[in-house]
Amino acid sequence: MTDTHCPYCSLQCGMRLEGARRLEVHPWPEFPVNQGGLCRKGWTAPGLRGHRERLTTPLVRDRATGELRAAGWEEALDLVAGRLRALQAAYGADAVAVFGGGGLTNEKAYQLGKLARVALGTSQIDYNGRWCMSSAATAANRALGVDRGLPFPLADLEHTDVLVLVGSNLAETMPPAARHLDRLRAHGGHVVVIDPRRTPTAQRADTVLQPVPGTDLALALGLLHLLDAAGAVDEEYVAARTTGWEDVRRAVASWWPERVERITGVAVAELRALAERIAGAERVMVLTARGAEQHAQGTDTVLAWIDVALALGMPGRPYAGYGCLTGQGNGQGGREHGQKADQLPGYRMIDDPAARAHVAGVWGVDPDALPGPGRSAYELLDALGTDTGPRAMLVFGSNIVVSAPHATHVAGRLAELDLLVVADLVMSETAALADVVLPVTQWAEETGTMTNLEGRVVLRQQAVRPPAGVRSDLEVMAGLAARLGSPVPFATDPEEVFAELGRASAGGRADYSAITYDRIRAEHGVFWGGERLFAERFAHPDGRARFVAVDHRGPAEPVDAAYPLHLTTGRLLAQYQSGAQTRRVRDLPDEGPFVELHPALAERIGAHDGRPVVVTTRRGELKAPARVVDTIRPDTVFVPFHWVGANRLTNDALDPASRMPEFKVCACAVTA
Amino acid sequence: MTRERVVVVGAGMGAVRLAELLGPCAGGPAVTLLGDEPHPPYNRILLSAVLEGTHDPDAVAMRVPEAVDLRVEARVVEIHRGEREVELADRSRVPYDRLVLATGSIPTLPPIRGLVRVDGRLDDRVHAFRTLADCQRLDAAVPAARRAVVVGGGLLGLQVARALSARGLAVEVVEGGDHLLRSQVEAPAGAILARDLRRLGTAVYTGARAVRLTDDGLVLDNGFTLETDLVVLTAGGRPSTALARRAGLDVRRGVVVDHRLRTSDPAIHALGDCAQHGDQVTGFVAPAWEQAALLARHLSGADVAYAGARTVARLRATDLEVAVLGDPQRAAGQVVELSNALAGSHRRLVLRDGVIVAATLVGDLSGIGLITQHYDRGTVLGPHEPAGLLRGDRPGAGGPVALPDDAEVCACAGVAAGRIRACSSLEDVKAATRATTGCGGCADAVRSLLAARTLEGTPR
Repeated sequence: MTDTHCPYCSLQCGMRLEGARRLEVHPWPEFPVNQGGLCRKGWTAPGLRGHRERLTTPLVRDRATGELRAAGWEEALDLVAGRLRALQAAYGADAVAVFGGGGLTNEKAYQLGKLARVALGTSQIDYNGRWCMSSAATAANRALGVDRGLPFPLADLEHTDVLVLVGSNLAETMPPAARHLDRLRAHGGHVVVIDPRRTPTAQRADTVLQPVPGTDLALALGLLHLLDAAGAVDEEYVAARTTGWEDVRRAVASWWPERVERITGVAVAELRALAERIAGAERVMVLTARGAEQHAQGTDTVLAWIDVALALGMPGRPYAGYGCLTGQGNGQGGREHGQKADQLPGYRMIDDPAARAHVAGVWGVDPDALPGPGRSAYELLDALGTDTGPRAMLVFGSNIVVSAPHATHVAGRLAELDLLVVADLVMSETAALADVVLPVTQWAEETGTMTNLEGRVVLRQQAVRPPAGVRSDLEVMAGLAARLGSPVPFATDPEEVFAELGRASAGGRADYSAITYDRIRAEHGVFWGGERLFAERFAHPDGRARFVAVDHRGPAEPVDAAYPLHLTTGRLLAQYQSGAQTRRVRDLPDEGPFVELHPALAERIGAHDGRPVVVTTRRGELKAPARVVDTIRPDTVFVPFHWVGANRLTNDALDPASRMPEFKVCACAVTA
Repeated sequence: MTRERVVVVGAGMGAVRLAELLGPCAGGPAVTLLGDEPHPPYNRILLSAVLEGTHDPDAVAMRVPEAVDLRVEARVVEIHRGEREVELADRSRVPYDRLVLATGSIPTLPPIRGLVRVDGRLDDRVHAFRTLADCQRLDAAVPAARRAVVVGGGLLGLQVARALSARGLAVEVVEGGDHLLRSQVEAPAGAILARDLRRLGTAVYTGARAVRLTDDGLVLDNGFTLETDLVVLTAGGRPSTALARRAGLDVRRGVVVDHRLRTSDPAIHALGDCAQHGDQVTGFVAPAWEQAALLARHLSGADVAYAGARTVARLRATDLEVAVLGDPQRAAGQVVELSNALAGSHRRLVLRDGVIVAATLVGDLSGIGLITQHYDRGTVLGPHEPAGLLRGDRPGAGGPVALPDDAEVCACAGVAAGRIRACSSLEDVKAATRATTGCGGCADAVRSLLAARTLEGTPR
């Protein structure tokens, strides 16, 4: 038996693996996050092992035929390194881009950043987590001084009085977490779900608000208005622990409930009832997720909800406060160790001279040799193959052509590259476009740490030997670094890389220096920064949290006569992200995309349940079966994004601060 | 190049919105707000809630960007269009490149003898209700008063009536028209409101005009004399146009503006209650803010046109439910109506080509959020949708009744009812199907399936 963690979402549920040839999943009841519970994705996770579509040899695109052909590792790595060096010699270091993922282990994420900054010397690195938690990260840094998804253990949910979930469908996206909602309600607590769809999570809530997509910000401003009007602001806390309230207060004076109703579609009575409920509660916990964050005003939306929590005096109080429900498996760790365009390991900023000096010291290079900040994920993709953009890209742990917004455009940019290299376990839609595909180890075949949504660093341990012919991502990176003439060596042993990561992060905002594999094993994971944050002070130099006054701007693409409906996207229980893994697991249902719409809308356009409808936006169209449900707003349709198609529709408008694309709302038309 | 100077006459809702939108732009114009009131800008529409005691009086101040030059007690007395300057009451002058008139409206003084005393001042019992000063004065008079009469049965009148009632006063409303809210809603809706108000303890006199204020009280033309300590005048307002008129601008009911909100002098714009666009003079915040947004873009160089306002009027008063979208009395179209005399509700949609062009909702606001969205977006509705909206259809929360064998019970593990029925116990279910081991949400359903199985005596 090997103690390890599920390969998918940010809960990183503990599980035990048994067997050498046929892996079996067993519960690990002692692991506190999921206490033995798993969803079907976890139970069926071994389904990808030994899969006939598993890649076991490098592939190189043959110039004559245009087809991918099998190649040896030496040939493939020599080819990649040679082309990269030639392109950099001709066009400069930034001619090569690196694209990472929020599913990579901490060790890989760290090493990928080092590969870019040291071996390639390029500033052009970012990752798909930019499309996941970046708005919450930006907001938490501004307001609280640090970005750790949940500043408390997940189980604290059970002990609050009112839990407000803004744009989270955790009962489907991280099912074992939903047990906490039921226990909270059994204790007499109250669960509020805010979502344009009455999701399975909403069905377990006491209060459900269904705002127009893209208006969660206005809703928060309306709550602040009512809290202030009712004298429910915790003035003592505000005075002692925060700054900036007066500005927010004057800003929300113009967000009276009838105005909020007109924008959000949430009736005044519902808003007032929620305001009264949170005003009267001793402990309130506000948690945001992608529904609130994946907007061109996502950062401001999160800031407004943090303002609500601060006005009530909650952050730092036991079983209360604000948190973000991270999405990807290593969404937290993935953004801490240097695969983000503007960051170095330990959540250090790359334009901070002290940070550069420290990290360069650990790496054994000259600080001046480190590049500066690069482009954010979507901007990076948008620049590929342009006069000023990169001409080659290395992709690790991301299926860009399914997960990027405005995906047709992105696929077009990828086609303009001189060289696209993809490291993956299967022939994902992105790997299929590559010039070189490098087969890598997966989950149970390798060891590494992940940092879950609580900031708990956990250890995924190798349970089986990888198939012949594949290499670990760390080995691939080391092989490339050596061929690129890296001034320093790249380790391939995960524990060794983790120790180096610890030294590089020491003294940073996310400091891992005291964490070791042994401690993780002994303690069921280790929280960086401590189990609970903010009891005494916030992470700004003066110890105070910042209220930030923000305004509602609305969706970047408002509906109009030609595109009269809101389109929103999201996940399903049985699939994960771009589906590259889960769509290949036989025991998981893979019915393809569908279009969820309300009976009133179905009748209006003549759509029938199960029959195809066409969703059109300014960027593309999707034909898929209708799923007629009365749980969605009649002015909104929903498409899951696990398949090619949804993101051909979505809008690439970006948040000005986090550079998050507006996945969660755009204007569309639907015809039967 | 020096920055363009935008001077706004007024510091009310529309003016502040314009300043907020223009203020923080780098390289944008230098903005000056000239307000004649002694207070910094505040949210006027919250005043009735302040009076009622449901809104903290300290929480009405509005944000003005720091970059904006805000002047209080700065009353403009003259516009010198030739010199492009405005003159203040203290004779000082403020130069402008662009002038924006946001002077709002002034309350109408109804023709009631005795309102004004011989010395030209209002009788001590008489109150207007437009400014923060009015609100403070009325608020201060409430503790010593027992009875109040509100003259005017419009939105503001009803809000003030409810507020005073909540403060413990005996309140009477006098409305000259034949029903309440006569400029917004039809007679049946007005009748329901009157009934609601009476139920809440407020007397209502419709079709009655106040003619004289005497020491005995307010005398109506129907012969009643209402004994009272306070008379609050809420009988509407008219656009404040004196300044524009003196400056020779084109003024009809309001200051006439084109689709770029320009007056007859291209350097002068007007917005909000004081402006007239086409035939439309509005008295609400939302259109004033729409105009402010448009003007802000226009002043920043964008060429955008104003197409008129879509108004949504809401009554902000405890226990009175009123929403009026557009102009339901005058809008032409097909009518879908649901009146429920028993429940005291009147709901009416006016549609043209499937689009809601106006609506009245009184006594029952269910579905208001969606109805407003459809109205604002011009959604083309199907033939059965309006009735559904009026009924306020809500999705039912049906529980699991007699699930067929192929109905999914546990989403986490993907287990259908039939497989649960085939199990003997909860432990068996967990081991064989893994149902209930994920999110735990199906535990109740699984238990009831197992219990039903036991009752039916299904063989093992």
